Amino acid sequence: MNRFFSLRKICLGAIFLFFYFPILYMLVFSFNDSRSLTSFEGFSLQWYQKMFQDPNMMEAIYYTLITAVIATLISTVVGTLTAIGLSKSRKIIKDMVLQVNNLPIMNPEIVTAVSLMLFYVSLRLEKGFMTMLLAHIAFCIPYVILSVMPKLRSLDDHLADAAMDLGATPFQAMLKVIVPQIMPGIVSGALIAFTMSFDDFTISYFVTGNGVKNISTLVWTMSKRINPSINALSTIIVLMITITLLMVNILPLLKERAQRKNHPISNRALGIVSICFALLIGAGLLGLKNGAKKPMNAKEAIAKYGSDTLKVYNWGQYMDPQVNQAFEAQYGVKVIYDTFDSNELMYTKLQGGESYDVLVPSDYMIERLLNEEFLQPLEKDRIPNLSSLAEGVKGLSYDPQNLYSVPFYWGTVGIVYNKKAVALDELQKEGYNILRNQKYRGRLYLYDSERDSFMVALKALGFSMNTENETELMEAYEWLKEVVLTMDPEIVTDEVIDAMINGNKDLAVVYSGDAAYILSENEDMGYYMPNEGTNLWSDAMVIPKNAKNPLLANEYINFVLSYEMSLKNSLFVGYASSNGEVLETLSGYEGDYEGNEAYLPRVGYDKDEIFRYNEHVKKMISDLWTKVKIAK
Amino acid sequence: MKTFRRLTYPYIAWILAMIVIPMILIVMYAFTQQGNEVATLHFTFDNFMQFFTDMDFLRTLWLSLRIALMTTVLCILIGYPIAYMIAMSSSKRRNLYILLITLPMWINMLVRTYAWIGILSDNGLINSLLSAIGLQPQKLLYTDFAVVLGMVYNFIPFMILQIESSLAKMDKSLLDAANDLGADRWQRFVKVTLPLSLPGVISGITLVFLPAVSSFVIPKLLGGGGYMLIGNVIENQFITVGEWNFGSAISMIMAVIIMISMYVTKKLDKSDDALSRKRGSVR
Repeated sequence: MNRFFSLRKICLGAIFLFFYFPILYMLVFSFNDSRSLTSFEGFSLQWYQKMFQDPNMMEAIYYTLITAVIATLISTVVGTLTAIGLSKSRKIIKDMVLQVNNLPIMNPEIVTAVSLMLFYVSLRLEKGFMTMLLAHIAFCIPYVILSVMPKLRSLDDHLADAAMDLGATPFQAMLKVIVPQIMPGIVSGALIAFTMSFDDFTISYFVTGNGVKNISTLVWTMSKRINPSINALSTIIVLMITITLLMVNILPLLKERAQRKNHPISNRALGIVSICFALLIGAGLLGLKNGAKKPMNAKEAIAKYGSDTLKVYNWGQYMDPQVNQAFEAQYGVKVIYDTFDSNELMYTKLQGGESYDVLVPSDYMIERLLNEEFLQPLEKDRIPNLSSLAEGVKGLSYDPQNLYSVPFYWGTVGIVYNKKAVALDELQKEGYNILRNQKYRGRLYLYDSERDSFMVALKALGFSMNTENETELMEAYEWLKEVVLTMDPEIVTDEVIDAMINGNKDLAVVYSGDAAYILSENEDMGYYMPNEGTNLWSDAMVIPKNAKNPLLANEYINFVLSYEMSLKNSLFVGYASSNGEVLETLSGYEGDYEGNEAYLPRVGYDKDEIFRYNEHVKKMISDLWTKVKIAK
Repeated sequence: MKTFRRLTYPYIAWILAMIVIPMILIVMYAFTQQGNEVATLHFTFDNFMQFFTDMDFLRTLWLSLRIALMTTVLCILIGYPIAYMIAMSSSKRRNLYILLITLPMWINMLVRTYAWIGILSDNGLINSLLSAIGLQPQKLLYTDFAVVLGMVYNFIPFMILQIESSLAKMDKSLLDAANDLGADRWQRFVKVTLPLSLPGVISGITLVFLPAVSSFVIPKLLGGGGYMLIGNVIENQFITVGEWNFGSAISMIMAVIIMISMYVTKKLDKSDDALSRKRGSVR
């Protein structure tokens, strides 16, 4: 027996270690002095400070809590009432309702999520807080019903009848007779509902929008870069949950003790404790709400621009947050800032009816948006800073007169390589084909962009990256497929930045701006633009036709283009600014990117091209890229 | 009593709007082509054909099923002994253990999965330890291993709790009876405990297999951008590619597969039940 006991101890210890180790790990590294998630370099509270200063994180906590609280309340009440009703209904109705009720539970979450998204889109509902809340209520109620039903089954039907015979109204009978008896079921239903809502990612991810994020969706967008603030946020969540669980577990104990002692006051004390707790949560929510950004002089802004909010949809990790804060302070408006990580994702959202005031798509996507009449012309007299555009981004083919677009960043696509592992002359000799050199098997990153992956393959094969020739495209597909099958590459997006800074691998296909940042953080890394040519890209700010606040959008574009703001942005992410003066400052003598071979884009090289939009090619590339990715 | 029936009407309206219609929408999208206008309904099987005639998609489906199956088996193999140990503990300890198992489930799944990235990455904790004791660092993150680990980590509590509750409900006097009839420990386990805990195992399987087969978060975080399971394909079609019709068709295929496997598991459960009952009555 003794031996068995110790075996049990070891096993249970091991499983709890397995459960708690990652959580502990996270907790510890939230106090790390450096950005690293692997080596602890001293105690610091900076990530907590960063978290509390980040309005996005505060908002996400606020939305998560308010959604969970409201969804729990509504689903508990509705679920309980329905369950009571069902227990008295005819069997056929009861069975049918329960059958449908089971659907969200039995269905894969992603299917429920997708179905709700389609539903909202077909009703042309704008995605945001309301759509998320409704979805949460929808998937919470079934759990409440399921946990209340069994309690009702064991309930004596005659009790309610007796109460009504004695003169109680049905409502009174329900409240005073039925509900108290099924209370345990209601409480556990409410608890399940709260957890489900608090934790939900999949469904929220598909049905939210307009800058409304809960903690899960926020973590999802941030998870690509190493960001210890996520750990700080998690630590706070762990703390909140531990406190809540302790309350839940201790309250019944208190109650039990009170009943045992038969203290009438204790019940009141219990009430007071729970009211205090509720007040505490309420106060916390209020504090968060106020901590979240609020326009300072909203009325003025509404009088001047017709609205006090501006919705911006930009690439992830593309702007210094201070720029939006500065704009908010200067104009007295609130900037709702949403991010995407591919042009296609942005387009899909736009097509789904979402409305934004400013978008920052790339060249070929702007061409597409123009073709499909998604954009409205700029009011150039509101954008005097247009005169400061850098030479390299003037007169771009998709909008030579800047009638619709103002460049934001520009650059090339190239290969970041570890100078200690890869020789430059080897790169020069092989160009893009180095990605198929078995020497570097398992040592490379591809970027998860259908466009640029096909650019690499087409250029490697000596074709134009704008080819419309299907055999050439198929050849490029085979080229990529072979890389995936024989080279064991990792296909990543922005994770590549921190990974290359850490020197995880030797080669990576990277955008020049990210490369500039990598080079400035790790001096072993070099940037190479192959002689076969590359994609000379630019991202530009545009105003969609369905913008609700075009006036302010024009002001915003001008503001972002200014020297100070362009400088802040370019310094923050490493991409080449569209502001000529900023380019000079940063790449010039003693500039932050002096001597950085990735910062200044290559201009005037005849094999470099700009992407053009062609619907057929786009569809073909996007299908083929999906197939390349799943070929692994 | 009939007055209470009216309480269900609002919810019936609600499920029509929020569950039934959205499901019908998926089916409609799955059987139509391009263009999101419902007015131009044109039925077609193209979306399904596209999926079933393409080896790559089929391979992805197969991989998803394999990973989910592996996760489920591991959850049973690890979860059963743990559940057994918990169920056999004194009630005070039992409550503590159960609390300890539920606690992590309350913490956001994304956050918990994110924590593994730091542990598994190329320069992460495990590899630092490996190289500290002079071993070759291993590629852990962005592999099948990482994905299965992430899934087991996230889903095993469901398995443990299900098995545990069915074991705890078991009438302990049955074991004494078996003992009195001369069964040894192993026989007692195989003939009494195991059959009685099967319902728990079965509901544990549904609770693990179902989310595992459709997950797209864990594969993306721990498998990397190039790691595609069927859930990722759906996400990709809806969020990035914008082919909602094809995406709906894949969603439907997945829902059907899951319903079939649920049905089979349930049948298994019932037939097992019937069998053991029959056996019991014969003896």
